Amino acid sequence: MSEKNYVIEVKGVNRIFPVPGGEFQALKDINTAVPQGYLAILKGRSGSGKTTLMNIIGALDEPTSGTVSINGRPLAKMSDRQREDLRRREMGFVFQAVSLIPTMNAFQNVEFSMRLAGIRPGRERDKRVEECLSMVGLGNRARHMPAEMSGGEQQRIAIARAIAHRPRLILADEPTAELDSAMGAQVTMLFQEMTRKEGITILMTTHDVGLMDAGDMIIELEAGQQVHGDGEKE
Amino acid sequence: MLRLMLQKLRHKKWMNCCLLLGSILLIATVVSFPLYQTAAYDRMLQDEFRKYISTEGKWPTMASLLHSSQRDVGGGAITRAENLFSNMCADLGVTQKEIIYYYLLDPAAVSSAMGRDAVEGTSVQLGMRSNLPEHAEILSGEMYSDTGLAEDGSIEVVVSESALVEMNLLVGETLVFKDRRDVNGEEIRILIKGVFGQKERLDDYWQETPEEMTNVCLMNESLFRQMFTGENAGNYTITCRYCLLFEYSDIKASQVDRLIKRTDYLTGESSYRKIFKEPDYRQILETYVRKQDRIRATLMILQVPVLILLGAFLFMISGQMYEMERNEISVIKSRGSSGGQILRLYLYQSLFLTIVGGAVGIPLGAVFSRILGSASNFLEFDGNRTLEVTYTPQTWLYAAAAMLVTLLAIAIPAIRYSRVTIVHLKQQKALKKKRLWEKLFLDVILIGVSLYGYYNFRKNSGDLGSAVLRGESLDPLLYISSSLFILGMGLLFLRLQPYLVQLIYTVGKRFWKPASYASFMENAKNGRKQQFIMLFLIMTVALGMYHATVARTILRNAADNTEYLDGADVILKEVWVQKKDEHGNSLGEYIEPDFSKYASMEGAASYTKVVNETGAYFEKKEGDAVGRYSATVMGIHTKEFGGLTWVEGELNQKHYYEFLNELAVEQQGFLVSRNFQTILGYKQGDSITVQVDGAGSVTGKIVDFFDYWPGYAKTKTELNPDGTSSVIENYTVVTHYSLLFDQWGLRPYEVWISMKEGYDSQYVYDWIQSSDARVAKYINRGDDMRAALEDPLLQGTNGVLTMGFMVTILLCAVGYLIYWIMSIRAREMIFGVLRACGMHKGELIHMLLNEQIFSGVFTVLAGIGIGKLASKMFVPMLQQAYAATNQVLPMKLITETSDMMRLYLVIAGVMIVCFVVLILLLFKLNVTKALKLGEE
Repeated sequence: MSEKNYVIEVKGVNRIFPVPGGEFQALKDINTAVPQGYLAILKGRSGSGKTTLMNIIGALDEPTSGTVSINGRPLAKMSDRQREDLRRREMGFVFQAVSLIPTMNAFQNVEFSMRLAGIRPGRERDKRVEECLSMVGLGNRARHMPAEMSGGEQQRIAIARAIAHRPRLILADEPTAELDSAMGAQVTMLFQEMTRKEGITILMTTHDVGLMDAGDMIIELEAGQQVHGDGEKE
Repeated sequence: MLRLMLQKLRHKKWMNCCLLLGSILLIATVVSFPLYQTAAYDRMLQDEFRKYISTEGKWPTMASLLHSSQRDVGGGAITRAENLFSNMCADLGVTQKEIIYYYLLDPAAVSSAMGRDAVEGTSVQLGMRSNLPEHAEILSGEMYSDTGLAEDGSIEVVVSESALVEMNLLVGETLVFKDRRDVNGEEIRILIKGVFGQKERLDDYWQETPEEMTNVCLMNESLFRQMFTGENAGNYTITCRYCLLFEYSDIKASQVDRLIKRTDYLTGESSYRKIFKEPDYRQILETYVRKQDRIRATLMILQVPVLILLGAFLFMISGQMYEMERNEISVIKSRGSSGGQILRLYLYQSLFLTIVGGAVGIPLGAVFSRILGSASNFLEFDGNRTLEVTYTPQTWLYAAAAMLVTLLAIAIPAIRYSRVTIVHLKQQKALKKKRLWEKLFLDVILIGVSLYGYYNFRKNSGDLGSAVLRGESLDPLLYISSSLFILGMGLLFLRLQPYLVQLIYTVGKRFWKPASYASFMENAKNGRKQQFIMLFLIMTVALGMYHATVARTILRNAADNTEYLDGADVILKEVWVQKKDEHGNSLGEYIEPDFSKYASMEGAASYTKVVNETGAYFEKKEGDAVGRYSATVMGIHTKEFGGLTWVEGELNQKHYYEFLNELAVEQQGFLVSRNFQTILGYKQGDSITVQVDGAGSVTGKIVDFFDYWPGYAKTKTELNPDGTSSVIENYTVVTHYSLLFDQWGLRPYEVWISMKEGYDSQYVYDWIQSSDARVAKYINRGDDMRAALEDPLLQGTNGVLTMGFMVTILLCAVGYLIYWIMSIRAREMIFGVLRACGMHKGELIHMLLNEQIFSGVFTVLAGIGIGKLASKMFVPMLQQAYAATNQVLPMKLITETSDMMRLYLVIAGVMIVCFVVLILLLFKLNVTKALKLGEE
């Protein structure tokens, strides 16, 4: 690896789940690194271990062996509290399923991640919320409740929420799964734009082959093993 | 289908456990009421019997018949009567203790076989008494033998000591009846074999005591029957006394109706009606039934709110279940299942839950009723008071009704939900609407109705008093008004609660941390979902509060009133005899019973003479006419009297001792009741002359007016024949004993005694016995207080209220827990998202805590407030409905800190348990798993 600034570094990660009558190795010796400002695509069939790897990178799960470092700091050496702070300040999550807080409207949902990140209330913050909403093309739906929006709209709000507090890393697990292909392309373009404009690093999983080209690098998993993508796209 | 149901039960075990718990509690509670009532009635009935024994000193359950069989050819009359008596127990449904046949031939003259003059011509009644050898003790000589005949063929008899003395007989002497022959015409000889007395002093066999049998000679029973009854009865006149004693201790309240009916038949309709005297137990049962009627109605009314809460609870839980299973139902539905199939599935499920609920709930009901029976105050138990619980048909009826309600409560919502398809569901979810009650302003209506009731009752509070006099039960409308008030206020709170939360949110808008913010949002949007459980909580707390106050107030006022009215620990008035001249005309002077004996009463701390003339009167000029008023005149030794009596300071305008001091310094002073001033217009310094017929008049100067005085009731309420009640003013004059003595001479006085600690009524009773005092009036405050507190109506009220509270608080806890568990379950994914976004566990707990404060704590506080308000408004009226007719003291609203502490402790305990469970649940929450939930 070069002297590049890696936001994600994964070294020799294994994840073994105990299952009735034995063990199941979900991840086997994964090594990869994503430089800052890259849109990395984690690819593979369902069951290949994408979500497991995402969860480990997002500090939601711990590897059985191996290390993961975010911004050069190994997660294993952090306390729970530090990991939580890391998540709320430096990361943004977009989940496969609709993950908005149903009791808050679009504006409040986006604003909430900023509250969590400790950003003071005020005009600045409100402006940023509106900005993020416009970025996902939903500036006019700020007052709508999640239940009043379509799945695609909700997913875009979730993306707006993930970026609002200007995290350095966005982890997006199948963000396009619920969207039609045009919308999926739109989301992917949005991601590309963000990596370029704001220097955010994005790791997203997808099995939509049509979106692969959008990524700056591709990591491909097959049955828990890395078959491709320990580096940048050529 | 069945397998599907079992699968469903297993899959949703949490939910079903809650439903099961609900149905068990509902059934157990419902069953416990009739069980408790039956048991309490049984106890009450036994109390009545025991009271009879202690006042009358006789076996309470006894029936007797006296008839004279004259020339009864064939002896059919005796046989019929004996049949009647030997079958009577079976007929009445009671257990026989003893049947006593006591037959006596009419008196006939005898002479001594030895020719003793002292016996010549003595009139003797030869007879027999069944089972005599078992109950008699031979004082000298022997009991008659089994054959009843002596060797020489004379009849062996035994006599009582009094007969021996009265008739001047000798043991071993043979007597010969002069004119009486046996059926064969032979002379009848009797041998005095022995002298008998009672084997045991307190044997109920001795309805006629040996002392009374002054001319009776008793012979062997079978010999008597052989010689004088049956075919031979036609030749003799026999006085027959049949007496049946049956066990009272195993008579149950449920038997009372039959007992009364059969007894009335015997005394009123049977062929014996003319000679069958109404037995004493008939009166005991009558008293019991009257009390029971009043209690039954009152307890019934008190139970209704609890039962309604229980039903509502089940509805809520099952509603929650369907809410949770909506998705499932609608998916099944959309895949082509018919509504009927779904309905059947849920019907099976509810049937299962109901049957298991019944199997556990019915025995549990017995446990509940035992707990109820040991309630000595609100939430206060006395382990020594046990209640015997029996199942009656009524119990099963209640159980069946409860099970039916359970079944319906669980199954009915299925009808609604079975129609919902996934499409409806998605559409509905998008809507948030006001509840029907909010749109109808049900809260405002309920409050309005209850306030109307409140003002109505307050306006007519006098009627309540006369209803009590007529022995009516608590007016259901009054109690319902208070319940409606609580319900209405509860709903009003629910209407306002979201605004309250909103207000708090707005006030601190800039400072709320993310966790608080999330909980405000949650409350604003989902708050309505919990309205039911919140209402439940409010009702429980408010009713609990209200009931605690009701129970305490009624009990304490009854006790205080008794304490006040009795005046002193013990008041004794002996029988005073008037002096008579040689012709037996009374001279108007009394012989004073020995006063010095009171010095021997060790238990007395102090005692004093008090003249208490209730038949006095005075006259007052009113214009041209002269009004004559009856009055009570009390003569006291101020210092001694003050030493052993007390009036609560706040009742009078002055300290009690000030009154005594004012009187003490004025030799001719009168302390008079306030009505002399308010009604008759007397002023301080006026003089009054009071008179007692046969004693003379006493004139004195009014030194002051009192409102309350030991034992003084301002008015007496009397029931008129037409059902209205009239209030009679009680004019009382208190003056010096010495003044009355100077003017009237020696008059009968009462002795007022204050007792030392630890000397109970038994001691006083024993002292009276040993001192040979003949008592005309006896008041023992300790006894009266106990009686007031043990009044079954009060006890039953306490029991039901306590029980109601315990059940509802338990249900509340369960309901609250269910609500929260489900709320957390439903939000697992959101929690996962929040955790993923970096929210700490602590923040999540903080969030839940906030939500609990908004729903739980606010609600409890509202419940307490509403309970207090309802107590202030309704308890005084309710108390009036319970109050004895002689309620004299102003009603005091009693809320004991200890009661409230208990209430708060229970509530706090429940909330803490709930919260701990929730936190445990939250800690178990696995973030990655929760997030996966969303992928389905």
